Amino acid sequence: MRILNRLFARMWNFCFGSRGNERLREEMEGHVVMQAEENVRAGMTPIEARRQAVLKLGGVEAIREQYHEEEGLPLLEHLLSDCRYALRQLRKSPGFTITAVLTLALGIGATSAIYTLVQQVMLQSLPVNRPDQLWRMGDQPHCCNWAGYSQDSDDKSGDWSLFPWEAYRLFRANTLGFQDLAALQAGNQSLAVRRAGSSGLPETANGEFVSGNFFQTLGVSAWRGRLLVDADDREGPPPVAVMSFHAWQEKYGSDPSVVGSTYRINDHEFTIIGVAPPGFVGATMVDWGMPDIWLPLATEQLLLGGTVRIKNPRVDWLDLIGRVRTETNPKALEVQLQSELHGWLASHLADMTPQEKAVWQRQTLRLTPGGAGFSRLRKDYGESLMLLMVTALCVLLVACANIANLLLARGLKRRQQTAVRVALGASRLRLVRNALIESVTLSLIGGAAGVAVAWAGARLILYLAFHTLERSTWIPVQASPSVLVLLFALVVSVLTGVLFGVAPAWMSSRAEPSEALRGANREVGGSRHWAQRALVIAQAAVSLVLLSAAAMLGGSLRNLENQNFGFDADGRYLVRINSPMLSNHKQDQLIPFYREMQDRLRAIPGVRGVSSATYAPMSGDQWGHDIRVQGTPEPGPKDDVSADWTRITPGFFDTIGARMLAGRAINEDDNGNTRHVAVINEAFAKKFFGNKSPIGQHFGPTPVRNAGTYEIVGVVQNIHYVRWGFKDPARPMYYIPDAQTVHFDQLDLQSDELLSQNLFNIVLWAPGHPANILMQVKKVLAEVDPNLMIYDIQPYSRVIQGTFDQQNMIASLTWLFGAVGLVLAAIGLYGVTTYCVEQRTSEIGVRMALGADRGSVVAMVLRGAFWQVGIGLGIGIPAAIGAGHLMASQLFGVLPWNPLLLATATMLFGLAALVAAVIPARRAASIDPMRALRSE
Amino acid sequence: MEGRECSLVKQKRDVQQGTLALMVLKTLQVLGPLHGYGIARRIAQISNELLSVNQGTLYPVLLRLEQERAIASEWGPSENNRRARFYRLTRAGEKLLEAEKRDWEQTEAIIARFFEVKAEDLA
Repeated sequence: MRILNRLFARMWNFCFGSRGNERLREEMEGHVVMQAEENVRAGMTPIEARRQAVLKLGGVEAIREQYHEEEGLPLLEHLLSDCRYALRQLRKSPGFTITAVLTLALGIGATSAIYTLVQQVMLQSLPVNRPDQLWRMGDQPHCCNWAGYSQDSDDKSGDWSLFPWEAYRLFRANTLGFQDLAALQAGNQSLAVRRAGSSGLPETANGEFVSGNFFQTLGVSAWRGRLLVDADDREGPPPVAVMSFHAWQEKYGSDPSVVGSTYRINDHEFTIIGVAPPGFVGATMVDWGMPDIWLPLATEQLLLGGTVRIKNPRVDWLDLIGRVRTETNPKALEVQLQSELHGWLASHLADMTPQEKAVWQRQTLRLTPGGAGFSRLRKDYGESLMLLMVTALCVLLVACANIANLLLARGLKRRQQTAVRVALGASRLRLVRNALIESVTLSLIGGAAGVAVAWAGARLILYLAFHTLERSTWIPVQASPSVLVLLFALVVSVLTGVLFGVAPAWMSSRAEPSEALRGANREVGGSRHWAQRALVIAQAAVSLVLLSAAAMLGGSLRNLENQNFGFDADGRYLVRINSPMLSNHKQDQLIPFYREMQDRLRAIPGVRGVSSATYAPMSGDQWGHDIRVQGTPEPGPKDDVSADWTRITPGFFDTIGARMLAGRAINEDDNGNTRHVAVINEAFAKKFFGNKSPIGQHFGPTPVRNAGTYEIVGVVQNIHYVRWGFKDPARPMYYIPDAQTVHFDQLDLQSDELLSQNLFNIVLWAPGHPANILMQVKKVLAEVDPNLMIYDIQPYSRVIQGTFDQQNMIASLTWLFGAVGLVLAAIGLYGVTTYCVEQRTSEIGVRMALGADRGSVVAMVLRGAFWQVGIGLGIGIPAAIGAGHLMASQLFGVLPWNPLLLATATMLFGLAALVAAVIPARRAASIDPMRALRSE
Repeated sequence: MEGRECSLVKQKRDVQQGTLALMVLKTLQVLGPLHGYGIARRIAQISNELLSVNQGTLYPVLLRLEQERAIASEWGPSENNRRARFYRLTRAGEKLLEAEKRDWEQTEAIIARFFEVKAEDLA
């Protein structure tokens, strides 16, 4: 209590600057007068009486100081006065301060920028109630559909992450460990939304089917209206939907009348019953289409008709996330869920294929913490972000070394001043504190500027990684720094301040008063500046590693972009559209619709070819089936018999510039009246037919009774179709004509068959950049169907480039960081060399007076500089090779120890060193010996 | 130049301060409200002028005690009608004095016993 009272009084005094000076003065004055009066009574003369009284009182200044210390918060006051002193010192040398602040702003800014993204992508939990209680079923970031009763993938056997609706119902009903278990669609559903009664164009939107208890499970409450409940997730009641805050704000201008209104979504009436709260973007983090509208699972049948998944136990398409009860043990829960999964699988033994029957008992699932939701961003960008974080930290280290160097030089320059202060009685502790406070003040200013750099940097990274400005979809990652990022910047600033301040502070604490008296500016080159030299060496090594890494990443990117993709991007354009079924076309109208569209597009002057596909190369999509070749034995459970497939219109290979290797391409004769045909790629032929000719052979999607479905009529060269796996061997693929429809007995095959008749991509071949081609395409498409939604029209080269946006971002940023590091290291080298030359002025004077010529002086200085750089490179080159090995997983077609790249980086560095050393060396050589000797 | 603190000096002052505070409290308890000079004189008298130098150090101690709410102060007229700051003991001060006194006596007793003990007593 006493201490608290005192602290409170002190703080009060400190904050309101209330000072008892006047009171103390008056009390002491009274004290002296009373004592003097008494002394007079004792017989002294008045003057002597007063003198004795004052003596008895003691040193007034000391008392006042003591009084003052009792009064306020001395520690804080000293700190403030030190800060003021530091600011004064910094103001006195603006050149140094600006250099240091800029350097720090770059270093801290770069680190904070990447931390901004790391925090959001890697560390953040969902903005929901108690995210620690959320657990997800499964640990793989799969998307979007998986078919069958086994989820064996390449590396994991039978690790379930996606579930069919039927299994979800079972889990939800039988697992008491969950307080609530929600399901959400792992992919997304494109929607066309228009207000009921309005005749305008429909808006595109991203839909996500979720279970009725989705919001309740996550513990999210409505911003407007209400959110979904279980009663909404049934067949029967009028369909309802919930809008995301982002969509409500961006697409509907925060219009309050949205809630309660009826909208036509894909031509069905839905009532928007509420808006989710701001900040809540769903449980899935992706960079392609965050949900704008959440729909109850039960409405899937309404929207998808023939391609519905909800009633099909073979289609796994749901992510499951549950809130566990506080008393539930997750381990026990996992075991229970595994046995429930087995129970459910056992109930479907009759529907399983022989392969599935062989492995169903090995199927399992893992329960993993779900507080962060289903982040595919984490999987896709985690590694790159970590790499960038390390790079940025390297730059920060280089910056620290640089500023430590500048401070050391400053400290040496101020050595006389420091020595005088020590001689006058300044304690070493105080000197160290002064020096540290100066460096921390500096780094805090740098950090404040760094926050601005961080904001701009994060925007730049987002732009480079996602091309945020060109895209219609938005990314759930923000560039503006959050409180956490500000805290991070603060901590980093203080840490760097201490880091680069320690050496100078230590130096100043060793100041000898006698040096000041000796006039110690005479100096010869020696071991004195080992600290500075070591820092330059470290800088050289780190920037070499960065430059070499950047060169490798750049080379890797070039290799990636210039590889042979199996088609010709030159003069081709990719048009992405939504399904015409969203604008009132029926399934059986699709084929004539696309024919008409293509004919009209082909009429545009300059267009040499038009063809459509369910999905075109590198458009981001991939559809796969397990297949069976007629007349071959049933494959074993371990055999990979999968192949990708797409539906195309005649002329596709000509339009995209792919060569036929054997047989014929798909043509106009392949229609509803002729036998079902397919063209396969080279990889398909090699994998399933080896050296035999595949022409005339038959195959089909699993099970084996479909094996006679397609007759192979041609083989086309391998086209790299997916946006990943550029190091992997080509994937087997088959192409089927859009005009032929097979009727499959299997529900999932049938639904794919119907869905694939929506040709989402049009490829246009219009060589020579015809003027206004994009506008004309848009115009023609609008004429064919004004309601048709066009996502984007891009030159194919940009589509390919877009595939490497992430690599491009990393390479660009590493170049940037490497360049910054090089510049910083050059500045550091220059600073140290200049400083040493300055210190050795008199030594050089003596040397020249004794007959050394200018050349030998220049050589001496250059030798010193190159010696440092040499050691730096000696450490840097092995380190760069080591880093290259670590980065191997990121590289494409570049060896981690490419000597040419290393040599280039080394040469760049040598050049920088030369420039940094020649200027002070020339200056040293032009010193007049007499002046040098006199300079004191 | 700032170089005022030296750790040795500070420790000595701290010890004095603690003792001085106790003396101040006791003086105020015995004599009632008193100004700084009165307190200083009383302490000097009692200690046979041993503590008479540097009377000014009393004022920081008074300030501290006041911040701790052990004493309170107000302006009032002195014996010869000058304005002086009068300090009086508060209820908290009474309690503090009691506690400090007990502590002091305890310490004293322990120290005294240490000095009394001779080698043969422990044998």
